[in-house]
Amino acid sequence: MSAIQLIHPLLALLLAPLMLGVIVRTKSFFAGRTGPPLLQLYADLFKLLRKGSVYSRTTSWIFRAGPVVGLAAAMAALALTPFGGQRAVVNFPCDLIALAYLLGLMRFFTILAALDTGSAFEGMGASREAQFSALAEPALLLGLAAVARLTGCLSVGELSLSEMLARVTPAAWQHAGAALGLVAAALLVVFLAENARIPVDDPNTHLELTMIHEVMVLDHSGPDFAYILYGAALKMWILGAVLIGVVAPVRTGDAALDLGAALGGMFALAVLVGVIESVMARLRLLRVPQMLVGATVLSGLALVLLLR
Amino acid sequence: MSGWIDVVMVALILTNLVVLGSSRLNTCIRVIALQGVALGTLPLMAGPSVLPLRMIALTAGTMGLKGVVFPWLLLRAMRQAEVRREVEPYVGYIWSVVVGLVSLGVSVWLGARLPLPGPVHPTLAVPVALFMIFVGLFVIISRRTALSQILGYIILENGIYAFAMVILGEVPVLVELGVLLDAFVAVFVMGIAIYHISREFDHVDADQLDTLKG
Amino acid sequence: MTSSAIFWALLLIPAAGSGICLLLRTPRAVLLLVCAGVLGSAVLAFCAAARALACGGLVSPGEWFFLDALSAYHLMIMMAVFSLSSLYTLSYFRREAQTGEFTPRLARRFGALWFGALAAMTLVLISNNLGIMWVGIEATTLVTAFLICLHRSPASLEAMWKYIIICSVGVAFAFMGTLLVGASTARQLPAADALLWTKLYAASGALNPVLLKAGFLFLLVGYGTKAGLAPMHSWLPDAHSQAPSPVSALFSGFLLNAALYCILRYVPLVERATNYSGWSLRLLALFGAVSILTAAAFIYFQRDVKRLLAYSSVEHIGIVALGMGLGGAGALGALFHMLNHSLAKTLAFFSAGRLGQMYGTHDMDRISGALRAAPVWGKGLLLSLLCLIGVAPFAIFMSELQIVSAAAAGGAWWTMGLFLFGVGVVFVGALKHAVSMSWGAPAEGVKEERADALEAVLAFAPMAALLALGLWMPAFLRDAIVQAAAIVGGRP
Repeated sequence: MSAIQLIHPLLALLLAPLMLGVIVRTKSFFAGRTGPPLLQLYADLFKLLRKGSVYSRTTSWIFRAGPVVGLAAAMAALALTPFGGQRAVVNFPCDLIALAYLLGLMRFFTILAALDTGSAFEGMGASREAQFSALAEPALLLGLAAVARLTGCLSVGELSLSEMLARVTPAAWQHAGAALGLVAAALLVVFLAENARIPVDDPNTHLELTMIHEVMVLDHSGPDFAYILYGAALKMWILGAVLIGVVAPVRTGDAALDLGAALGGMFALAVLVGVIESVMARLRLLRVPQMLVGATVLSGLALVLLLR
Repeated sequence: MSGWIDVVMVALILTNLVVLGSSRLNTCIRVIALQGVALGTLPLMAGPSVLPLRMIALTAGTMGLKGVVFPWLLLRAMRQAEVRREVEPYVGYIWSVVVGLVSLGVSVWLGARLPLPGPVHPTLAVPVALFMIFVGLFVIISRRTALSQILGYIILENGIYAFAMVILGEVPVLVELGVLLDAFVAVFVMGIAIYHISREFDHVDADQLDTLKG
Repeated sequence: MTSSAIFWALLLIPAAGSGICLLLRTPRAVLLLVCAGVLGSAVLAFCAAARALACGGLVSPGEWFFLDALSAYHLMIMMAVFSLSSLYTLSYFRREAQTGEFTPRLARRFGALWFGALAAMTLVLISNNLGIMWVGIEATTLVTAFLICLHRSPASLEAMWKYIIICSVGVAFAFMGTLLVGASTARQLPAADALLWTKLYAASGALNPVLLKAGFLFLLVGYGTKAGLAPMHSWLPDAHSQAPSPVSALFSGFLLNAALYCILRYVPLVERATNYSGWSLRLLALFGAVSILTAAAFIYFQRDVKRLLAYSSVEHIGIVALGMGLGGAGALGALFHMLNHSLAKTLAFFSAGRLGQMYGTHDMDRISGALRAAPVWGKGLLLSLLCLIGVAPFAIFMSELQIVSAAAAGGAWWTMGLFLFGVGVVFVGALKHAVSMSWGAPAEGVKEERADALEAVLAFAPMAALLALGLWMPAFLRDAIVQAAAIVGGRP
């Protein structure tokens, strides 16, 4: 573990809320407003950390544990994520499964905490969230399998996310551009689904019929809510890092240049998400499974293309 | 070059899956136009770098016919017949896409076993052609409106055309023209038929054309 | 005349006729042109066929047009059916013109499409290029589709839609088969020759058997859809019953034969490539047997006389396929059966059509006393139905007998048993309907009409021919059949 590998987690911890600020700013620009300042989320987190928490009498320890476990899982996953062609801080064979399941653990505890409140409202959000992430998972894993096949990391000893993304180079894009394009599209859909962005879920809505992620965290307050917001920002960073690793592989060999390019890629991704949120409306709930199945089809297709 | 061929193959596969999963006839028609254009570029991909004039003319003709004329005929038929909404097909949309994926797998398996003369240049070409034939048949069988059945027929013809490109390499011009002409007249005739059916019946639901039985 | 001139004339006369029909004013003029054009083509075609049979084949210089014994035989049958049907239109549509149903516009459309169908079917028969043969069959589908719904009604539109979709899909399958057969040359023939039948026949030893078999399967299913082989026959009863009677006569009389002819073109190729293993013949026989049994199952319960005749067509095409599948003497019987069936079915549709006009309905329960109400056509219907179910001494009995004895000689007992069973069921079912329609008191509201000379000739000429053929086979016909069967068997 070299010093360079530590840069990414530190950068992520520092800059993840900024990404959200960029998204919101982009949306405001499209709407013709000035919008909140870029560092708004930092201010919100700071405010929330100083507040007290209110706990309902129907909740149990799960409700208190949910946000903490979620944040811990997110940070652990951050340690597993490679960035800018560098190895992750912790990498071992088959760590991409660990990454997927750490994110799953975070989601699981959020759902449990939501169910723990005993409110039908949160339960509804929890069930929707569970369904959508169940459908998004094959897309993610098939996409990563396709990348593994492309980079030749097929033996158990080599199947590490860091290894795979380190081997994705511009030459790989020239060689198998169609397949990588399909994987990128699928990963983008998974990114939007997992982070509850439009077209899967509207982060600004508070209408009963349309909330998914928002409704699950409705009862949290104070530091708990701060942990949840920060955890969500980290999750966005993690998935974004994987996506950028596939889409914009700048591997010049100079660590500073690679990291800088990857950072630029992350913010370009934030702008892209802002644009998507501004030009599209939320899909009807019936259509979201179809879209996710479509993403799975794209990943599967990429795998088929690379298998022959 | 192989990168571009892959893109064309992927485009063909995706267009078929979109038709299977989409309920809006407008979307299906435009996607099939895209399919026709992609198909028209197939001979250019596999052929030599210096193209004879007749191949260019044929490519342009195919792209024009399948990419422009067919969609125009179908949209006109839709307008004249005042087709409104798409009724739920016999097989739901998600299941249709699943069937499409299964048939893609079967086509890849079949394509490997077919003893074709000589190496086939884009190795995905035969499976994609077989896949398009399956999808065309499936759309004809599983959709209710007569317009969707025409779409299925066009996809079937596209698949057979792709197969012809792969297998024969060089088809005599006259046969090629005859085939294209037949396809054009077939779609034209079907469009006229739809117009008359809508006039006579007030709908174009092929499922309800069942008075003649036994 | 040179051979290429003959071939082009055979194609261009109907094409010209089609164009001229669009310019005429009255229905009568259209129908007269139809008769004149078809009879002229028929004369030319008979001369060409005679020459082809005498010289062992007529080939155009580019080898794209070709007339051998098999296609000459079919050409003669086609022209006979077309000529009879064209003469019949004079009588059939005259009644409709009187009631105003057959407007000049309808007449023009009919004439143009009729000639178009003739041109397309001729193209199928005279082309040596299998791709062009396919184009011809697809063209016949598209042209005849509008002949079915000449009179627009919900039922005829439904029949036309089913016909177009099912037959187009079938013919698309046939194109797949054609491609596979072309590919089976394995690049040994120059690309321009890969689809020419004469070249394929000469090189059939060197063709890839796996691809050829796969192609034949597609072709059998594809062209079999057009030919009305079960289980792809579902369009047939609707199309044949909803079309106007001259068109139905054409369909059953020749269009089904044309599709079967296309299949027969490929049989010798497969046989020679697989060393005469009989694989393709067995498949053909299987489809034939299924068709006979399917038709038998449905005929008993029919109410519409034209639907009954349509199912009878399915049965007879099945018999032809079965006979061809038996090979040897069975093939001879099958080819003879093609001619007999065409004549008998044509007459049957003529009678059913005119009786339908007189009675105002095609419902068999409401048609009765036909022998008394319409002496000429009633007799025509009764005799043609008897002939179709295989009553001796008409020709169909002889050809069926020949097929049965071929089955017995070859030891195909199951085949023979199924055949006799199917034919027996049809015998009982159709006879019941024939008797109920012919005898009894004429229904009320029937317009009794006296038949004129033309109608009498149209009714009795085919009957006389069938009787004559049942008793005696002219030498030139036997020669033609033997030569044609030899071509299909792959051993000329």
